[in-house]
Amino acid sequence: MSTATDTKAAPEETASEEIAPRAEEQEVVPAIDENLQARIGLMITPAFFLLLLIGLVYAWTTTEFDPTTARILGFEGLVDKFGEHLFITFWSTVFVVGIAIPLGIALTRPRLRGIAPLVVTFASSGQAIPAYGLIVLFLVLLGQGTRTAIAALTVFALIPVLRNTMVGLDQVDKPTIEAARGMGLSKWQVLRQIELPLAVPVILAGVRTALIINVGMAALVFLIGGGALGETINSALKLNRPVAVFIGGALVALLALAIDFIAALAERYLRPKGI
Amino acid sequence: MTDALIHLENVSKTYPGTSVPAVAELDLRIPKGDVLVLVGPSGCGKSTTLRLINRMIEPTGGRIIFDGEDVTEVNADNLRRRMGYVIQQIGLFPHRTIAENISTVPNLLGWKSDRISSRIDELLDMVGMDPSIYRNRYPKELSGGQAQRVGVARALSADPEVMLMDEPFGAIDPITRDRLQNEFLRLQEELQKTIVFVTHDIDEAIKMGDRIAILRQQSQIAQYDTPEAILAQPANDFVSDFLGKGAIIKGLNLKRMSDIEPDRIPAVRQDASPDEARRALDESSDGRILVLDEQDRPLRWIDRSAVEGDQPLANSGYEVTAVVEPDDTLRDSLELMLQSTASSACCIDDDGRYRGVVRIEDLTRFLAAMQQAERERRAESDYEPEQVTLS
Amino acid sequence: MDGLVSFFEYIVDQIDDIIELGIEHAIYILSVIVCGGIVSIGLGIWTRNQPIAREVALAVASVFLTLPSLALFVLFIPIFGLGFWPPFVALFMYSLLPILRNTVTGLAEVNPAVMESAKGMGLSSRQVLWQVQMPLAWPVILTGIRVSALLTAGIAAIATLVAGGGLGDFIKEGLTRLGLPNGVEAIWTGTVFIVLLALLFDAAFVLLRRLTTPAGIR
Ligand SMILES: Nc1ncnc2c1ncn2[C@@H]1O[C@H](COP(=O)(O)OP(=O)(O)OP(=O)(O)O)[C@@H](O)[C@H]1O
Ligand SMILES: [Mg+2]
Repeated sequence: MSTATDTKAAPEETASEEIAPRAEEQEVVPAIDENLQARIGLMITPAFFLLLLIGLVYAWTTTEFDPTTARILGFEGLVDKFGEHLFITFWSTVFVVGIAIPLGIALTRPRLRGIAPLVVTFASSGQAIPAYGLIVLFLVLLGQGTRTAIAALTVFALIPVLRNTMVGLDQVDKPTIEAARGMGLSKWQVLRQIELPLAVPVILAGVRTALIINVGMAALVFLIGGGALGETINSALKLNRPVAVFIGGALVALLALAIDFIAALAERYLRPKGI
Repeated sequence: MTDALIHLENVSKTYPGTSVPAVAELDLRIPKGDVLVLVGPSGCGKSTTLRLINRMIEPTGGRIIFDGEDVTEVNADNLRRRMGYVIQQIGLFPHRTIAENISTVPNLLGWKSDRISSRIDELLDMVGMDPSIYRNRYPKELSGGQAQRVGVARALSADPEVMLMDEPFGAIDPITRDRLQNEFLRLQEELQKTIVFVTHDIDEAIKMGDRIAILRQQSQIAQYDTPEAILAQPANDFVSDFLGKGAIIKGLNLKRMSDIEPDRIPAVRQDASPDEARRALDESSDGRILVLDEQDRPLRWIDRSAVEGDQPLANSGYEVTAVVEPDDTLRDSLELMLQSTASSACCIDDDGRYRGVVRIEDLTRFLAAMQQAERERRAESDYEPEQVTLS
Repeated sequence: MDGLVSFFEYIVDQIDDIIELGIEHAIYILSVIVCGGIVSIGLGIWTRNQPIAREVALAVASVFLTLPSLALFVLFIPIFGLGFWPPFVALFMYSLLPILRNTVTGLAEVNPAVMESAKGMGLSSRQVLWQVQMPLAWPVILTGIRVSALLTAGIAAIATLVAGGGLGDFIKEGLTRLGLPNGVEAIWTGTVFIVLLALLFDAAFVLLRRLTTPAGIR
């Protein structure tokens, strides 16, 4: 659970933290098995989801909407915004995965090993840039629109997946690889059949982090004409409609929780058995 | 020497970034169908030498000849598929079941699935693991000894001509280790593979090897011979130091109980009549006889006093404590004899049936004979070169 | 080149605002890590022998971090109105996980043999905690606080969207004046000074760590 989000925190510490908590928490609690820990995680998220949903429904049903509020929260508009939010989140994550995983693989091959620390340091220092500033700078560079938004999100969320891919591949037990090589698997086969499957849990944790970053960042792309649910919040803020602000915020939060929950499930069920 | 299956021809390896070679100009012939043990102090280059054979690392000089063919430049992956490789850490694939682990190379080689499946069962049986229990387990669900068995089974999967083993039993507790060694030797008797076995434990080397190469720094061969020969006549101080004290006792590791003919002291079943027992006692040169159960397993020692009264044979005399199996080495039996009061041990066969008795004197006699034979053999072979020059 | 010159001119021109908003920004960071630190370290200590409570605390803290920042900021507007408090509460919630997790890890990673021998010497469990566990765990905990500080520095930029001030004001101003003179300069100023502030805190933590880590484990 906790692995998902710390990359928001950026700098170098998170490099180890990305996977560390898994191992650590196991050691921490000999009495508690990892399963129980995962299950607690899987219970807390729905609990928060329910809480927020109740708040949302309460706010929605108990307040009399004035015309402006009603317009901000108009059904079709909301559906559109919701769709935009998902669209941006989805594509930026797809690009992140498509770029960061191959890059991570390449950087852990012997030939590029040497430059790996350089790339990671460079990329990580980029993460010190605040999301808000980065998005706006992308606007300056690339102009308004959804494409700019997706590009900005892709760049910002690249690091967790890149780093986790590298860490995940690096932490594969060396004797396992040695044995595989010794059996006559080619380098490519070792990568496909041994290294990548064994790195899946760590890579997935990175992807989940990227996904969460992207849902959150997508709420800011209204700033550069990218639309999405942030725009609903922004309109409500500008027009000073606190209920609409709250409902907009709750919607974004609910979406993030739902996505995180699905990602947590995926993490749990996509990891290879036996590890 | 039997013909060499593998020949390392003046092979060298200098690791990048180092100036001293880890292996320097090693010339090593690996005989077909034998177990060759590479033994030597830590860091002398044993692992490096082994990994040069299947080209896990590339030599920086020399040639590797495998089965008459120069394999120094051929595709290393294909070469490795012809050689089994077992390492101390085993390296089972944690995300694959035991069956999937074993089927890795057969899959690469494109075997049909039913052939693979029956091969998996065969191999698991061979290493003493019940396929119905273990096939679908994951490596983390195995004990260390079981994992090592699977490691061996996996290396054997495609029936490779050669097995390379780097301290395969190094990380296993002494009792399990002993058992695995015995099982391994029994398996090898059947399979007759060409095996290169690395260890830093001279006792293991003596026990496992048909031949031993004692290596010193940079994989220089200090002595290359049969265990008997090395024990009887260490070639130099390095070897004697490495053998350490008690080389003679170590020699007892070379023979197993199945190699010697025990003394058939008469024995009777426990339901035998006192008369039968008395007759057997008359025949015994030892003044005692053994009482066996229905399956001929040794139970008790008895002497004359036991047949005076008329209590059942099964309760008289004293219990047999030292029992040695065919796989046990002479050294194991010595240990048992010293523990038991009788200074003799009962030999049984694979089914637990009584075969005979060995005594400490038998062992001393055996050792003396072995050393004598070795000295004679040595004397002869020392003579040979001169004959060559004469002719 | 021109851009760089006008950027520096803008900085010189705006230096008073930069300092003022920088202080606001720093106040977010400081207040958040003090409050987050007290709560998280307290929670970590309190749950050190209660696995279930600990896992629940960790899970809750990590749910906080999955909530998008803008959403979390605005959720508190109905309660606190606009200004300092909604961002503060949200940033506080974000700061919990890194510190809590590192506290938990730090305490748990102390070599059991060391604790065993401390107990064997007759230290009470409270004395073991304060004289053995905490000093040994401190570097790890401090790292958690540092991560939280850097996290806060970045996210506090968004406080400006709910009228919370901070260096994000420059970015917002630049965005509204994009195309006009000094628009881009304002955006760069906001971004660069947030990064600089983060680096300043980072350096401070390196120093703090050096000063507060027991010599033996430095
Ligand atoms: N990858 C490497 N790079 C550089 N030097 C190495 C490398 N691997 C081994 N060496 C060096 O080569 C020498 C031989 O190492 P090797 O691993 O073959 O020893 P070994 O006989 O197997 O020792 P051990 O019994 O400890 O396993 C050692 O001095 C070692 O330090
Ligand atoms: Mg070695």
